[in-house]
Amino acid sequence: MNAREPHLHRRLRVSGVLIILGLAVELLSLIRIHPLAFMGFLLVGGVLLAAGVILYLVSLVHIAPTASRQDLR
Amino acid sequence: MVAFVVARPGITLTRGGKQLAFVVLFVLPVVVASMGAAEQMRRTEQTEFCLSCHVMESYGRSLRVDDATYLPAAHFQNGRIPREQACYTCHTDYVLYGTGLSKMRGLRHVYAQYLGRVQTPIRLYTPYNNRECLHCHDGARSFEEGAVHSADPSIMASIKSNELSCVSSGCHANVHDVAHLGELKLWEAPK
Repeated sequence: MNAREPHLHRRLRVSGVLIILGLAVELLSLIRIHPLAFMGFLLVGGVLLAAGVILYLVSLVHIAPTASRQDLR
Repeated sequence: MVAFVVARPGITLTRGGKQLAFVVLFVLPVVVASMGAAEQMRRTEQTEFCLSCHVMESYGRSLRVDDATYLPAAHFQNGRIPREQACYTCHTDYVLYGTGLSKMRGLRHVYAQYLGRVQTPIRLYTPYNNRECLHCHDGARSFEEGAVHSADPSIMASIKSNELSCVSSGCHANVHDVAHLGELKLWEAPK
């Protein structure tokens, strides 16, 4: 384990929470056929999901250089 | 599964944990969002979706005018268009990305409905395009051999090139006459 791992775990947690919230909003938006449900899906659910996925990918990119440097040693 | 990764992020130290995290934090959201978007797009084509805005209620009632000369009503009541997609069938371009462009306009409509001011009477952005009619009627015998349509070859050419509108005065001009809806008898669909 290295010093970055707790930081990575925190990012994974935040990413997961954002994705759970996004999925919940998208599920709720399917209850009614209404323009506001469509907007909620697009602007709230979609943004939460995108934020969660991007945070996860960013955390992967940030951890990769550390792992590469360790491999070189 | 997402909750599991949230509760125990330490599992990502193992190879299996990394794979699980990739699936639930990347693949799953992308797949769910894509499927949800497809379903939402399908729902926006529903008549119920369009009529859920207060300003559209009278247009919905105009589909039940008990007079065959009213074009939308005759199409709706006789099942010439799918009733559950009545608005979309006649008011969406069939060209590539037409649906997406319509949705962009739709976003403006939502803004006007809840935050702006709805302009009445509602007007189309562009003159009604015959393409919407020809999508079904082009090649149909009743259309091609119609007495007025085939009276002069130039008429048919004008209709098909969109120079002469199907809903122009003297042709099929009776459309959504919402201003006089109160004076018209409405048809009640049998349950």
